[in-house]
Amino acid sequence: MTALSSVPTHTIATAIGDAAMRWCDADFPPRIRITHDIADRTGYSVPAVEFALDALFGELRADAFLATIARELGDPAGLDSPGTRILPLGRVAILSSRTTIGVAIPAMCFALCAKNDVAVKDREDRLVAAFAESLAQELDAFEPALEIATWDSRLDGDRLHGAAAIVVYGSDETIARVTADYAQSARIIGFGSRTSIAYLDAATQSSPVELRRALAGAARDASLYEGEGCMSLHALFFARSGTCPPQKLAEHFATAMEEAATEFPVAERSAAQRAEMLQQSKLAAFRAAAGRGAAFCDERLVFLVVLDPPRQEPPLFLPRTVVLLPVDSPEEIVSYVGRHALPIECFGVTGTPRSYTEIAGRIGAARIAPLGEMQRPPLRSHHGGRPRIAEYVRFLDIDGERD
Amino acid sequence: MSREREAEALDERILATIDAWHRQGRKLDEAEFDDLALAIFAHQLQFNPAYAAYCAGYGLSLAALPTTWREIPPLPARAYKEAAIAAFPIERADLVFESSGTTSGEPSRHYIENRRLYDAALLAGFERALLGDGARLRYFQLVPNPAQRPHSSLGYMMGRVAATYGDGETGWYLDEDRLLIEAFYQDARDACKRGQAICLAATALSLLHLIEAIEERGDSLALPPGSRVMETGGFKGRKRSVTREELYARTVRALGVPAERIVAEYGMSELCSQYYDLPGSQRSIAGATHRVKAAPPWLRTRVLDERERDCAPGTIGALAHIDLANRSSSLAILTEDLGAAVEGGILLLGRESTAPLRGCSLDAEDLRRS
Repeated sequence: MTALSSVPTHTIATAIGDAAMRWCDADFPPRIRITHDIADRTGYSVPAVEFALDALFGELRADAFLATIARELGDPAGLDSPGTRILPLGRVAILSSRTTIGVAIPAMCFALCAKNDVAVKDREDRLVAAFAESLAQELDAFEPALEIATWDSRLDGDRLHGAAAIVVYGSDETIARVTADYAQSARIIGFGSRTSIAYLDAATQSSPVELRRALAGAARDASLYEGEGCMSLHALFFARSGTCPPQKLAEHFATAMEEAATEFPVAERSAAQRAEMLQQSKLAAFRAAAGRGAAFCDERLVFLVVLDPPRQEPPLFLPRTVVLLPVDSPEEIVSYVGRHALPIECFGVTGTPRSYTEIAGRIGAARIAPLGEMQRPPLRSHHGGRPRIAEYVRFLDIDGERD
Repeated sequence: MSREREAEALDERILATIDAWHRQGRKLDEAEFDDLALAIFAHQLQFNPAYAAYCAGYGLSLAALPTTWREIPPLPARAYKEAAIAAFPIERADLVFESSGTTSGEPSRHYIENRRLYDAALLAGFERALLGDGARLRYFQLVPNPAQRPHSSLGYMMGRVAATYGDGETGWYLDEDRLLIEAFYQDARDACKRGQAICLAATALSLLHLIEAIEERGDSLALPPGSRVMETGGFKGRKRSVTREELYARTVRALGVPAERIVAEYGMSELCSQYYDLPGSQRSIAGATHRVKAAPPWLRTRVLDERERDCAPGTIGALAHIDLANRSSSLAILTEDLGAAVEGGILLLGRESTAPLRGCSLDAEDLRRS
């Protein structure tokens, strides 16, 4: 029995939605306090943190939870009926993120909707713990269901021991380590290293207004969270057949990157990042002098746009740094991604997203999104190409009945 | 004046500068350094088209020369992987050095027109840093063997050093990357028996392998008094690494060489000159203690921020070297190394790997590391 086993799913989803709604208010006192703590911890600017919190809590609506449950598991009321054959796993442990703000929260909420007990490893800003307090204010049963702590690695074994599922947001190496140690006893749900790319089609380039809008969106996707998230744009492919010459397009994009830096001020960078950005900008300038490509940046090197670097080089995983690659067809995107074995999270596009399904499937993308929306994954979508709630339940089948 | 004549005249000036320091300890003042640096730079603008094209982006040309060496644009080191950076026809190169290419695959190539410059710079630097007592040592080389890797600048350098200053019994103990531990032991015991002081030249990685091999045998050596170690390179791109402090402590235990006799060299295949530890110097930066590295007078370094401005002393930035012995390539090079300017030289912090792909996070990295 879990703490939420007798609570109706609808009640759980509603309580989460109500708590999240309070967090959507920028003047909600816990949010004000946490915003600065997150900014201190991550180094991101306050506007970037505000954006992240708006995007996170704005999505945590009861209707979105119930719709997702219905899509993945059928009627949510089915989880409540006596003799239900969709059962909680028991205890779910979540190891949350160092960089992505609140990444553990949607997973935690879905695990709760599935009526599990949940333990979360929180960050030093204690965002998850603060939200958990709001949850408990909405529904008493959340209190015994949740265990939130900024735990110490020496205690990890104790915390993870007995978990029926372990959700890990981390490097591939970490996921492999957790899998090696716990896969015998727990379901390991790993979200490893991924990145995002985008494609700007020819039609968008023919409309100055559309082009400006698309590039502004791409700049936002690249600049938010300093390019550190799996949904951050690092390579922007564009149709060579478009009416905007590559050099001009790169200049427009650089302008958009500069504007994005006004909306989301730049974070503190390490000396290594600054040195690497300098090296890359100078290397691009050297290539440009030799007649290949170009580099665009502002005086402070807040951002770096590299036009047409050699294809044998992967994207530059540096803060606010994007490579612009002209292509004759999207097929070249497939070969670039394959060549560098890039694990793609989001494929940003212009035009009709549905028309890119085939290409997105081939590059292994988990999601297609319009430029400007890459950093706002809807709650109703899958996460990393995986179910939202189905991972947190177990099914009980009775032979013959389904037929 | 023809290119050859101009090159020869510059080389003679540079050689004289090296010689004056080597023999008499004479340094260059700011005006002397400027004068020679700007003359070399003008030569490179005229005869090194790849570098000249790059400098044009700074608004520099023969018609618009800089006024001080600090205005000479440092060429990114990675440019050496992509083009021939040479102020002469490369088919006439006296020496060609290639980087190991460990961090990005493609090696860089440094074409050197006149080996006299290279030899003079390396011998002067080495002698002043490691042979101040005039010792004639036996050289134990744990660096690439020039017979196997003729384009290794480190192998070439130690070959020249041993040929010039050695006792004629130099041993090479790397077969490609394999440590020839038995041969090392045999020769080391022989040196001990004869009381012949040795100089062990090793990359950090090969030194670590040697120490581990000695430790695994539960053994230690007591190298004859006067023995010393020249260590170079870091662990960049390698999975295994230890701190320099730990490496040196274990070296002292395993070889019986006092810590002050371990000297770190800092060089790169794109440079003709080298930095060495300044004896007895230590400074702390970013929570760690480093020895100060000192350069010969014809090598200077700027520490740059992301806007390519000079950082204040003690502030960490990217290292850009201006090496006057690089007459035939590019005298100013922007490296991928981090460091800080301090009194007497620089602190070298090395190279951090660039940002890896991020997952929805980097979290659990600290998980279960204990």
